[in-house]
Amino acid sequence: MPKDRRLFLYVEPSALKEICRYIFIDLDARYITCIGVDDRPFSGSFMVVHNFAFDKDHLLCSVLVHIPADNPKVDSITDVVPAANWAEREMRDLVGIEPVGHRYPKRLVLPDGWPDGVYPLRKDLRWDHVPKDFDEDREFLFDDPPEGCIVVPFGPFHPTLDEPSHFRLYVEGEMVRGCEYRGFMAHRGIEKLSESVMSYNDINIMAERICGICGCVHSVAYSQAVEAAAAITLPPRAEYIRTIMLEIERLHSHLLWTGLACHIIGFDTMFMQSFRIREPIMYISEKITGNRKTYGLCIIGGVRWDIPMEMNAEIRQVLDKLEAEWRPVFESVSKDRNIQKRTKGVGIADKHAVKNAGLIGPVARAAGVDIDCRLDHPYAAYDRVDFNVITEQDGDVWSRLLVRVREVFESIKIIRQCLEKMETGPLHADIKDELPVGRLGLSSVEAPRGESHHFVITGENNRPRRWRVRAPTYQNLQAVPMMIKDQQIADMTISLGSIDPCFSCTDRLETIDLKSGVTRMWSQEELQESAMKKKV
Amino acid sequence: MENSVSLTILGGLANVLMVLLVAPFCQGVLRKVTALIQSRQGPPIRQAYYDLLKLLGKEDLESGDSPVMQRFAVYMSLATVLAISTLVPMGFSSPMNGQGDVILLIYLLTLSGICTLLAGLAAGSTYSILGISRQMMIMIALEPLFATAIIIGAIHTRSFRLDTVLHGSVYANQGFPWSGLIILIVMLLSFQAFVERVPFDISEAETELMEGPLVEYSGPKLAMFKYASMVKLIIYSALFVDIFAPWPTGIAGPIQWLLFWAKIFVLVLLVTLVAATHARYRIDQAIRYFALLLAAAVAALVLAGFGL
Repeated sequence: MPKDRRLFLYVEPSALKEICRYIFIDLDARYITCIGVDDRPFSGSFMVVHNFAFDKDHLLCSVLVHIPADNPKVDSITDVVPAANWAEREMRDLVGIEPVGHRYPKRLVLPDGWPDGVYPLRKDLRWDHVPKDFDEDREFLFDDPPEGCIVVPFGPFHPTLDEPSHFRLYVEGEMVRGCEYRGFMAHRGIEKLSESVMSYNDINIMAERICGICGCVHSVAYSQAVEAAAAITLPPRAEYIRTIMLEIERLHSHLLWTGLACHIIGFDTMFMQSFRIREPIMYISEKITGNRKTYGLCIIGGVRWDIPMEMNAEIRQVLDKLEAEWRPVFESVSKDRNIQKRTKGVGIADKHAVKNAGLIGPVARAAGVDIDCRLDHPYAAYDRVDFNVITEQDGDVWSRLLVRVREVFESIKIIRQCLEKMETGPLHADIKDELPVGRLGLSSVEAPRGESHHFVITGENNRPRRWRVRAPTYQNLQAVPMMIKDQQIADMTISLGSIDPCFSCTDRLETIDLKSGVTRMWSQEELQESAMKKKV
Repeated sequence: MENSVSLTILGGLANVLMVLLVAPFCQGVLRKVTALIQSRQGPPIRQAYYDLLKLLGKEDLESGDSPVMQRFAVYMSLATVLAISTLVPMGFSSPMNGQGDVILLIYLLTLSGICTLLAGLAAGSTYSILGISRQMMIMIALEPLFATAIIIGAIHTRSFRLDTVLHGSVYANQGFPWSGLIILIVMLLSFQAFVERVPFDISEAETELMEGPLVEYSGPKLAMFKYASMVKLIIYSALFVDIFAPWPTGIAGPIQWLLFWAKIFVLVLLVTLVAATHARYRIDQAIRYFALLLAAAVAALVLAGFGL
C-alpha cells in the first residue's frame, strides 16, 4: 500500500478494457470518472485516465494510458463499466478522443450546432475561440419517443428546477415510460480557463464558483489535488478550519435540501421552517469568512480565514440552537405518514444500481452502501474526529430524506470536536519554490450530495496542465432516467430532487454577477455582441 | 308580487356583492395565517385585493390554442360561482329560490369544474392537458359527494327547494340521524378537495405541472380565475355551514348574519391549517381516498332512504 494512498497504473491501450473490467468487477472498485488529456505538447500523445476508488481499502487509483496523437481512439469501457457513460462522451466532445464501442455515443456537452472536429480542450485551441460555422440556434436532435407515449418537456425552465436542464419525458397517461436528458446548457468551460488563463491560487476562487451551494467543497478538493501533486503538507490548524467550514457548508446544504424537497411535494411549511432554522448557519459563515456563501476560504497550502478563539462560544451556541430545533423536525418528519406516502417506494436506486452507475453520497448510503469519503479517503482533519456514516436500506426517496436529516446531527458532532481539538498555529504552509511540473494529484471530498472528485496535472506558468472536476451530480444524474421509469409523473420532480441535483456543478458553470439597476431589455444578439466585445 | 321580485333581485345582488368583497379578504387572511405558521411575516391582508387589481390592469394577452374559448372559460368560471352565490343562503334565507333549484345548484357546481377543464383545453399546452386530466379524475370522484350530501337533505325533507333542503336538513328534524353524521364526516374530510387547496391541489400542482390548466393564463384572465377560486372557497364554506351548521336559528337577523360570516371565517382558518400542514397527494392516492369517502357517502344515502 503506497503511503499517500494513491495508485497510478500506466497500461497499454490494448489492455485498458480488460484491466478496467478486472478492477471494477473482480476487485469490486467504484468507478469515479474518466479524464481525457491533450498531452501532445509534453509527451507527444493523448492520455486517457480512468479513476477508480477502493473505498474499503482507502485507496484512489488512476489507470492511465497514452494514445498516439495521430489516431486518438481508445476502447470504450462502458460494456463493463456502465458508470463511464457520460465521462467518455464528455472526453469525446471536449478532447476528441473517440471511445470505440461506446453504447450510446451521442453528444453530451457540446451543443448540436457546434461543428465536428473542433475540440475545446485541445491545447492548440485558444480558450476564446468560437468556430465560424457554430450555429447557435440549431435545435437539439432528440431520440424518437417510444410508441404510444406523448412527450412532456420538463425544463429547460421549470419552477422545480432552479437551473437550466432539459428532461424529455415520455409519458403514457400519468406514467413515465422513459426520458432523455439534455444538460450542459450552462457549460462555461472553466477547465479550459484554468489551463490557459488562471494561476494556481486564482483557480481556487473559480473552483468555489462552480457551485452556489457546495462551493467550498470544490475549492478544498482542488486545493487538495494540487497539494497532493506537489506534496505540500498543511499545518493542522488549516486542516481543522477546512473541516469546520466543510461541515458548516454541509449543514446549510442539507437544511436547504430538506426545505426544497418538502416544497416539491407541496409541504411549504417545512420548507419555510427549514430555511428559518438554517439562517443562523449562514450568519455564522458570514461572521467567519465575510460571506454567507462562497467563503473564499482556500489557498494552495492552507486557508485564508482564521476562526478566532473568541468565536468558539458563538459557534457552539449556533450549533446548540440548531440541534435543539432540528431534533423535533427529525422526530416529526420521521413519523409523518403524509410525507411517507409521497416518498416511500419512489425513485428507487438499489445496491445494484449504485454499483453500476457509480452512485455516491446520500443516494448510495440510502441504498445501504456505506461509502463516505470523509471516512474512506480521509482528508483535512476527518481522521481525528469521530462520527457515524448514516445508512438506510430501501434506496428510495424516503431513505434519502432520512439520511440527510440524520446527517445534520453528525455534522454538528464533527464541528464540536474540531472546535475542541483545534490547536493554534499557522494558517498555511510556507511555499517557497515553484510547484513541480507534470505531477498527478487526485482528491475526493465528500460534498453534501456525494463525492466531489478533482484530478490535476501540474504544469508550467504557475497553472495546471489539466484540471478535471467530477461533481457528485454528474454520476447521480445519470441514474435519474432509471429512477423515474415506470413511475407516476408526479413522482418525477421529487425523484429528481432526491439526488439533490446541482446542474451548475455538473455543467461546471461560472456564475456571473449581473449589475443591478439596468432596466433596458436586451435581446440575445445584443447580449452576445457585448460579450464578444469584452472578450477581444 | 312586483315587490317580492325586486327583493329577490336585491337579495341576490347583495350576496354577489358580499361574496366579491369578502373573498379576497379571506384569501388575505389565509395567506397571512399561513405565513404565521411558517414563521414568515406574510403579506398584508389587503394584498389579495392589490393582486387582483394589478392583474386586471395588465395587458390582456391572447395566447394558447383557442383564445376565444379561453376567454369564454374564464368569464364562465367567475359567472358560475357568482350565480351559485345568488342561490345559497348567506346569513338570510336564499334570495332566489324555486321548486327544483337543488338540481340547479348541483348542475352549477359541476359547471364551475367544467370551466377549469375548458380553460385547460383551450390553453392546449402539455402541462394544462395533464392538469385537466387530473381535474377530470378528481371531478368524477368528488362531484357525487356534494350531490349526495344535498340529496340526503332532500330525502330527509322530501323537498327539492334549496331553502328547505339547506337548512341543517341532513340531520332531518329528529336530532342526529346516522346518515347525517356520516355525511358530515365525509364532507369534512373532503372539504379541502372542493376548495382545491393542499393536499388536493393536484391539478394545479405548481412544482409538478406549473399550475396545470392555468399555465397559459396571465393578466385580467388570470385575475378572473383567481377571483373565481377565492369565491369558490366562500361558496363551499357557505354551503357547508348551511347544510351542517345552521344553528342557532330563530334569532335576530343581523346577529344571525354576523354569526354566519364568523362560521365562514372559522372554516377558512381550518382550510388554512390543513393546507399548511400537509404535503400534496399524488393523483392515484387522492382518488383512492375519494373512493373510500364516496363509498361512505353512498352508505349514508342508503341509510337516509330508510329514514335513519
